Amino acid sequence: MGRLLNTILIGVSGGSIYSLMALALVLVWRSTRVVNFAQAGQAILSTYIGYVVITHTNNYWIAFPVALLAGALAGALIDILMVRTLMKRAHSGPVAGIAPVIATLGLLGLIRAVVGMIWGGDLRQFKLPVSNHGFTFGHNTIPFAPINLLIVMTTVVVMLIFSLIFQRTNLGLSLRASAYQPEIARLAGIRVDLTRTIGWAFAGAAGAVAGMLVTPTNYLSPNSLDLLLVSGFVAAVIGGLESLVGAAVGGLILGISLALVLEYISSSLAFPVAFVVLIAVLLFKPSGLIGAKRTRHA
Amino acid sequence: MFGQRRSKRNIFALATLAAGALAVTALPAQAFNVHTTDGVTPTTIKLGITIPLTGSAAPGYSKIPAAMIAYFNYVNDNGGVNGRKIQLVVKDDAYLPTLAVAKTNELILKDKVFAVIGALGTANHIAVSKSVNLGRRGVPDLFLNTGFSGFADAKKYPTTFSLFPSYVMEAKIMGQYLKDKFPGKKLGLIYQADDFGTDALAGFKQAGTNFAVKVSYASGSQSAQTAAGWVSKLKAAGAEVVVMFGVTTASGAALATSAALGYKAQWILGSVGGDATTLKAVGVPAVVLTGAIGASFLPAPTDTSDPYVAFFQGINTKYNGGAVFDNNVLVAMNTAMMTVQALRAAGANPTQKGLVAALESKGSTFASAGLAPLNYAKGVHVGYNGYWFGSYNSSGELKPIGGDYSVYTTDSGAGAIAKSTYVRPALPANGLPTN
Amino acid sequence: MRNLFGHSSRRLKAAIAFPVIGVVLFIISNRVDELRVYQGANVAVYVVAIISIILLTGYSGQISLGHGALMAVGAYAAVLSQVYWHLPIILTFVVAVLAAAGFGAILGTAAGRLTGPYLAGTTLALAVGLPSLANQFGFLGGEQGLNYDVGLPPTWLGADFTQYKWFFWISALAALMVTWLSFNLLGSHYGRNWRALRSNPTAAALMGIHVGRSKVLAFTVSSGLAGLSGALLAMTISLVTPSAFPTSLSFSIVTGAVLAGVTLLTGSIVGAVVLVAIPEITGALATHLGGSEKVTSNLPGLLTSVLLIVAVLLFPNGPQAIMKRTRKSSH
Repeated sequence: MGRLLNTILIGVSGGSIYSLMALALVLVWRSTRVVNFAQAGQAILSTYIGYVVITHTNNYWIAFPVALLAGALAGALIDILMVRTLMKRAHSGPVAGIAPVIATLGLLGLIRAVVGMIWGGDLRQFKLPVSNHGFTFGHNTIPFAPINLLIVMTTVVVMLIFSLIFQRTNLGLSLRASAYQPEIARLAGIRVDLTRTIGWAFAGAAGAVAGMLVTPTNYLSPNSLDLLLVSGFVAAVIGGLESLVGAAVGGLILGISLALVLEYISSSLAFPVAFVVLIAVLLFKPSGLIGAKRTRHA
Repeated sequence: MFGQRRSKRNIFALATLAAGALAVTALPAQAFNVHTTDGVTPTTIKLGITIPLTGSAAPGYSKIPAAMIAYFNYVNDNGGVNGRKIQLVVKDDAYLPTLAVAKTNELILKDKVFAVIGALGTANHIAVSKSVNLGRRGVPDLFLNTGFSGFADAKKYPTTFSLFPSYVMEAKIMGQYLKDKFPGKKLGLIYQADDFGTDALAGFKQAGTNFAVKVSYASGSQSAQTAAGWVSKLKAAGAEVVVMFGVTTASGAALATSAALGYKAQWILGSVGGDATTLKAVGVPAVVLTGAIGASFLPAPTDTSDPYVAFFQGINTKYNGGAVFDNNVLVAMNTAMMTVQALRAAGANPTQKGLVAALESKGSTFASAGLAPLNYAKGVHVGYNGYWFGSYNSSGELKPIGGDYSVYTTDSGAGAIAKSTYVRPALPANGLPTN
Repeated sequence: MRNLFGHSSRRLKAAIAFPVIGVVLFIISNRVDELRVYQGANVAVYVVAIISIILLTGYSGQISLGHGALMAVGAYAAVLSQVYWHLPIILTFVVAVLAAAGFGAILGTAAGRLTGPYLAGTTLALAVGLPSLANQFGFLGGEQGLNYDVGLPPTWLGADFTQYKWFFWISALAALMVTWLSFNLLGSHYGRNWRALRSNPTAAALMGIHVGRSKVLAFTVSSGLAGLSGALLAMTISLVTPSAFPTSLSFSIVTGAVLAGVTLLTGSIVGAVVLVAIPEITGALATHLGGSEKVTSNLPGLLTSVLLIVAVLLFPNGPQAIMKRTRKSSH
């Protein structure tokens, strides 16, 4: 029982990070119908900016909002400089499905190269905002530490904030309308371009949060969030891409499945897990756990 | 879309495009270096290296070419090798076999390098050896930066010279060490689930080491989260001594996570994942590293009392912009110094054949920072074959246990383990080989 | 059979054009140096891979970010059939096609109900997960891989006929055959079904096209071609190893397909040439421009990425669109 509980805790702390990245991807998907592969790049860039602030101020809590703002700004800029053109030129035809993939992959490469040029390829690290020493009960240290609690809580907060924005505000309504039917939204007087830019800014900020939270227990390099991007994407798809709650749940499902497989089947099977979980979920629910009511072709 | 008239046009478009495209790629490749043959001119010797400069394997390895060039520039500033300046052509292979082959082909067929040095990556270099076929082309392939034992096979790879002791050797020697120092203790092992780990398992089997628990991880999956799983397995099995046979990011995650989860064991770090400088950079607190045991065939890169290390650190400051001096930089400069000796040994008019022959006849006498002997001989392309054990002190520096280096040597097969009596040659005056 | 080969005049023209291209390639391969011949072989490998994406994405409207994994299936099937069954080399390529097509049929059936990002996610997860399995089973050779040896060129080709020229001949022949077969396939009623499906699945279903079956067929054919290109890729590096099929390979060939124009078979050569040429050109440019080590090592990546973004933004429909535009403006 202790073993199972331990494994689930490990899964939750890993999965909550996937959830954060999945939230960022869902925010872009909801506003633009684009799977943003550059999300890992944006998160890396924001985290390096956070890293610079930390090395100067020696204070994580100053760096955190700075990285968040940088992420939002980068997201907005990417939308204005790239996505706008993309939406105009490649919105239909056979290429519409993959042009955004290629464009955002190109952007990921671009950001990585720029980050590499500025900071080089060395592994970097900054100090933990809170302890990573597992909580202890008597003589038992559990694999769940204040840092993991912080990540889980942040995921919940981010999810709640954006859910509220989407469900309860005019901005949220505009965001949903612009994504779903941009033409009609425009006719209804919504500034579709601006709304989409805000969606990208939100996603950029969420990605920055993921980067700032995952880095202290791991390390920072131009490629250090690559795998997280894939896990986040898989988590978002499990959750159905449309739903913020789905993204969070998807991340936890993936994290816990991974921990269970590594513990009970083989510790070297890390990479095939995502595929198996994804296929298992999608065979039963082809548009994810909390997917759209009707299938759309993207 | 494919009406009949269009299809006609398309087919001829295909023909012209195909011909045109290939004609473009068919521009004469050697238009700019027709006067060189095999990379040697009266004033220069051109060498090549492919290495990951970008991508997930880049951290650490990407520092190597610059450090090599730093030493070569120092030699060049002091007259070069028999009056020839050494140039190093660097190509990024991103740690992918396909790119390693493509880039090595560029080095050999376009840049026409005299030799390639410091190649790394098992799959990468097997692909290069097979497809480019360095052996058949007669291109010297010097001082591989890998512990895969297969490359030491001089019949299969006639121009290839290993440098590092193999993973099998390391595991064998480590197994013996465990038997001697920790008899009766419960042993644990973390290893990478690929050839690196397979070689380690073979070595430990040779040494007759029995692990109470073995945890493997897929290369690239290591993180604080997966490491939590490793630690709970080790903990559950009650392992008292744990061998970490993985890359630095994996040993970093293992050490940091075990500290966070209150798991105390005697850690023994393999040489690949034991670079203290990098471990600290990935966030392993010095206090966690203190008391761990490490294996190496080089002096610690922070040990300034070592004449080689002190000299290379000086070069690093003057010629390499004061990069962080870690194991990679030390390995790179040491490889460069050995390369200079190999080129000198090949004589005033070096040929590729001559270089291979010179290494076979004189390679074992080269001055190098390595504390284990070099084994080059006719038909033997094994470099270092031994390790010494140390423990990390409170500043994270690997210091020999008992103060003196005791190096143990062995082979990659069933051979015995012996205490080495090898004394490395002294650093040449000013670090400039005179062999 | 009539349907498979389409209109007879098309067939005639193709029957003339393809041998002509073959002869042109033959002449070129004798005139250029070894590096270009090797790169030519790589171009041919990518042509096959890109066509596999074009059939899938450009015609049946499905997205795959996991074709690198299907290439791995083909490559492993080919090498295993050589190692364990000692099949002649030509048959190992057939095995590659069949194995990957079979795998693709299963995957395509499972993924048949998935659209857009769901399919992209599933195939991407496959690309991440599948190659790493080679380290789980001893007979797959682990990271050291298995040698894939197509043998030396036949002696009657002469002593100066290099190994790379042999690779080029094999892969160029495969690429020509694949292009020719794809032309005919797209001209057949299967091709028409796919196009109908892509532009409007509902209308296609009303017209009596079996949507699911048609999609699975496209996935199967595409996978078979991916398998062939995987075996050819393994041939050029003489080795089958998991790290030869990284996630970035899947992205590369999708990139090649976009550069090719997604619906244009003949564009595949453009995409393939760009994929092969870019690393060399950007590398040379970076060396030429110089700068600190940090800058030069990242400059090729920067240039490639910028080029990619600009290409997608300006010419999302590939060279076809450019040609159309210039044709229009010249009138």
